[in-house]
Amino acid sequence: MERFAKRGVALIAAGLAGSLVLAGCSGQDLEGGSDKAAEGQVTLKVNFWGDMGLDKLKAAYEKDHPNVKIVLNSGEYNAQHEDLQKKLVAGSGAPDISAVDEGFIVQFRGQSDKFVNLLDKGAASYESKYLPWKWQQSMSTDKKTQIGLGTDVGGLAMCYRSDLFKKAGLPTDRESVSKLWTTWDDFIKVGQQYVSKTGKKFVDSGTNMFNPVLAQQPQGFYDESEQLQMDGGPKVAFDVAMKTIDAGLSANLASFQPNWDQGFKKDQFAVLACPAWMLGHIQDTAPEQKGKWDIATIPGGGGNWGGSWWTIPKQGKNTDEAYKFVEWMVQPAQQIEVFKTVGNLPSQPALYKDPAVLDYKKEFMSNAPTGQIFAATAEGLKPQYLGKKNGPTRVAVENVITRVQQGSLKSSAAWPEAVKAAQKAATS
Amino acid sequence: MSLTRSAPPAVNPEPAHRRAPDAGPKSRNWLHRFDNKRVPYLLISPFFLLFAIFGLFPIVFNGVVALRNWRLDDPTLTGWAGLANFEKLIHDDAFWNALFNTFGIFILATVPQLLIALMVANLLNRKLRATSWWRVGVLLPYVTPVAASTLVFAVFFSRDNGMANWLLSLVGFGQDAPLDWRAQKWSAWLAIATMVNWKWIGYNALLYLSAMQSIPKDVYEAAAVDGAGPWRQLWRITVPMIQPVLVFTVVLSTIGGLQLFNEPMLFEENPAAASGGSNGQWQTIAQLIYKVGWKDLNLGYAAAMSWALFLIILIVAALNALATNRLGGGRR
Repeated sequence: MERFAKRGVALIAAGLAGSLVLAGCSGQDLEGGSDKAAEGQVTLKVNFWGDMGLDKLKAAYEKDHPNVKIVLNSGEYNAQHEDLQKKLVAGSGAPDISAVDEGFIVQFRGQSDKFVNLLDKGAASYESKYLPWKWQQSMSTDKKTQIGLGTDVGGLAMCYRSDLFKKAGLPTDRESVSKLWTTWDDFIKVGQQYVSKTGKKFVDSGTNMFNPVLAQQPQGFYDESEQLQMDGGPKVAFDVAMKTIDAGLSANLASFQPNWDQGFKKDQFAVLACPAWMLGHIQDTAPEQKGKWDIATIPGGGGNWGGSWWTIPKQGKNTDEAYKFVEWMVQPAQQIEVFKTVGNLPSQPALYKDPAVLDYKKEFMSNAPTGQIFAATAEGLKPQYLGKKNGPTRVAVENVITRVQQGSLKSSAAWPEAVKAAQKAATS
Repeated sequence: MSLTRSAPPAVNPEPAHRRAPDAGPKSRNWLHRFDNKRVPYLLISPFFLLFAIFGLFPIVFNGVVALRNWRLDDPTLTGWAGLANFEKLIHDDAFWNALFNTFGIFILATVPQLLIALMVANLLNRKLRATSWWRVGVLLPYVTPVAASTLVFAVFFSRDNGMANWLLSLVGFGQDAPLDWRAQKWSAWLAIATMVNWKWIGYNALLYLSAMQSIPKDVYEAAAVDGAGPWRQLWRITVPMIQPVLVFTVVLSTIGGLQLFNEPMLFEENPAAASGGSNGQWQTIAQLIYKVGWKDLNLGYAAAMSWALFLIILIVAALNALATNRLGGGRR
């Protein structure tokens, strides 16, 4: 309605938009002019989300490279990826460097012609330094184009509230807690004990059971010939999610939503499947819970959730300078700097042996050795192929789990619905 | 317009003065003719130019895209698709579900909205204390950015700590199992319709009010003498006499209601989904277009949906205008 609210308003808006366009053009001209004037002065715009620990890096790089100016542009996770997609379609306006998350890498590697092939810039020498699956995930289907250099991986562990565990009469130190649950069935049993003791819920949501379990399976939604394979990994993960919901363990909160954040503060759940980058979120959401969280191993073995790459859209004017900066950012010294500032785990296994990572203890998480814990889960991981339709399929299946949690679908009838939803997403 | 003619001499008087005698009559004539014949077009041209760029071009371009294959996740698939996208549309139950939702929310939002706006305008039209205060007050929701108000409403209608559920619990509903507003169609529709109504009632009320104030008072006086009560006066005098504005608001609400996007989008718990709830409970067409285009990355199909929505709005707005005309007793 706002668009057509009033012709006058629309006209003024249109006029404004027009003048903005004009202003934008002239602004660019000016910039171009001054570029030439200052001889080799280059501005690199870097898009990412949240905090990737770049502030210090930017200052250091600019100091060593006086001709380069770096503009950091942090935005909202979904919005940044969508913005990149739109600019790629439009053919202009994309940043010089853009971070891309695991949830979107498949979408963008399918459009590898829109990105600088980093192999052409000499990135091939880095292949041996990366976790093999990390290197593969950002490769185009024909394996000829590498669109991104990995920056961090998530790894996967289980964060838990040691204070709440204590109240429920459960062990609290990370070794004993890890021993409590070697399998997901054990995990559900521990949850039932917790719920019957405290009357509170154990996990935040069924979807946050489904996703980590799926990440542990050898095969995800799709096989390498892009065929939907619901009976493999997805079925296992879905069953765990259903068991959790049926056992009454789930607080049914949607992740990264106001209710979820309140759930932290109101002790609505006691455990949370957590990749390395989740620690920052816990710390920001519930700073008063410092020392009340700890990290145990996750049932069912290693896995990975999330993690990003640096990509360089082809439409940029300064792709050479952009590559130099990206190359510098993925060097060990910088990767360790980022790990220390925000906790993002590097994706180069050699760094896991580095004392700076090995000995690091996260004060907020009861001094847990986060470097060791997350590195162990990411390193042994077998690569899981992520199909082209992985993103929409995941959302579709998550929605079915949410329907069960909302009570509008019986858990016994949910699997056929999930298959149907996944098939629809696969052909959408 | 006379300004443009007299402006040059005023700005740069000396050369103009000197030149005026010799080149005078001819250039004056030319200027005069230019002023009369061309300047009006020149002055209104910005609107049409901008409309051509931001209105007409997207519509036409969309029409072209709708007939093509364009998938972002499959760059090799290009070329003309003919009517395949539209054919897919007819068999797509997600589209029909979205259409159903859109109309459901549209009716829940538009009918109460315009009726309440009429009542509010009628109240504001009386002699009240602090008239301007009330009039500005009803407009406040309209000037609130829709994203801001919707985010507040999303929390208002949340399951666990929402105010809506707290209010319900005061009157004894849902104390043990709080209502999950997003779980069912009816509750989600109601929540979204509430957001729309809240925002637009004041705006429409002010439109009605301005129309009401141009109705001569003696008509009411005559009616009162004949024994017509306030209710009867409202429906027999006010409504027919503000009928042009009624048609206007109905058409605008139709367009806005059928394009509903922000509210359902921000009501979503998982912003990455754009699926309008776990089972598409409140997915509107505009939201579905967005999902198909930017989540499923099928731009051709999304364009076809946009065109279908365009046609639906044209038809419904025309029907509504016709119906309102009849209701208001107009013969136009």
